[in-house]
Amino acid sequence: MTRLDSWLKQATRHLSKDAAAQVRTEIEEHYWSAHEAAIADGAASAEADLRVIAALGDPKLANREYRRVMLTCSEARALREGNWEARTLCSRRWLLLAVPLAVLCTGVALLLAGKTAVAQVPLAGGAAMALLLGATFLPIYTPARARIFRWVKWATLLAVFLVAFDLKSSWLLISCLWLLAWTEWTRIALRRKLPVADWPKQLYL
Amino acid sequence: MNFKGTLPTLILEALVREPTHGYRIAQSIKERSEGVLDFKEGTLYPALHKLENEGLVESYESNETGRARRCYRITKTGRATLARDRAEWRQLSRAVTVILGEA
Repeated sequence: MTRLDSWLKQATRHLSKDAAAQVRTEIEEHYWSAHEAAIADGAASAEADLRVIAALGDPKLANREYRRVMLTCSEARALREGNWEARTLCSRRWLLLAVPLAVLCTGVALLLAGKTAVAQVPLAGGAAMALLLGATFLPIYTPARARIFRWVKWATLLAVFLVAFDLKSSWLLISCLWLLAWTEWTRIALRRKLPVADWPKQLYL
Repeated sequence: MNFKGTLPTLILEALVREPTHGYRIAQSIKERSEGVLDFKEGTLYPALHKLENEGLVESYESNETGRARRCYRITKTGRATLARDRAEWRQLSRAVTVILGEA
């Protein structure tokens, strides 16, 4: 393994396949330009190699910087899986409306039967599901609209969970919300790393 | 010299003169600073990607001496950002000079 290969291996650690290939290409281009310049300066090939690798700096530091701006393996996977979920949901659009509607109907039926306390859970759950699943029907295709939608979504979700589970069941609240919070966290990273033109629909939501 | 926070501005400044590739950007910054701003070249590309994600520069394929290379050019937004950064830098530099008593 050459010094350049070893540098690249460390610098591309945990980056997605595409990002790693891009880094490899640009650093190799840089390496050969710098190598040619060093040779032209009168350095021998081995010395030029040493000089160029030293100028590139610490590969671990470069890796940290790359991971801040390029997709990592886990983010690329989250994006792929998100795309798959979005496609699956969009191909079964009736499900998006039918499921929250069924849950809301159950809540209304319980309410009419006089079981007010029990009815709270399906009513709140139905509202949350309608918000999450129905979002794909809304005209959200600009970052500003997306930001407003996300604020409304989180405020509604918190209100819904508080109504459904009250504060005594806060452990249940946290266990329900952590998955949504984790997804949101990953999407924040993806939004930062991808140009707006490349955002898939789920990054707006 | 540590100038990490100003690297994006220096890249924009290099690109406003002419669209070029990463190696030449690095050399231009080093030469114009007369070797004072000697940074590790491996950190130049993450900074370029960040600028590209923010829409301040755009990349394109170019053929230079028979070799395909990724080159970068500054966008309209990038020029506006550079003008703002320049003004901020002048203000900061003036303030620090006054504090250090060298005005």
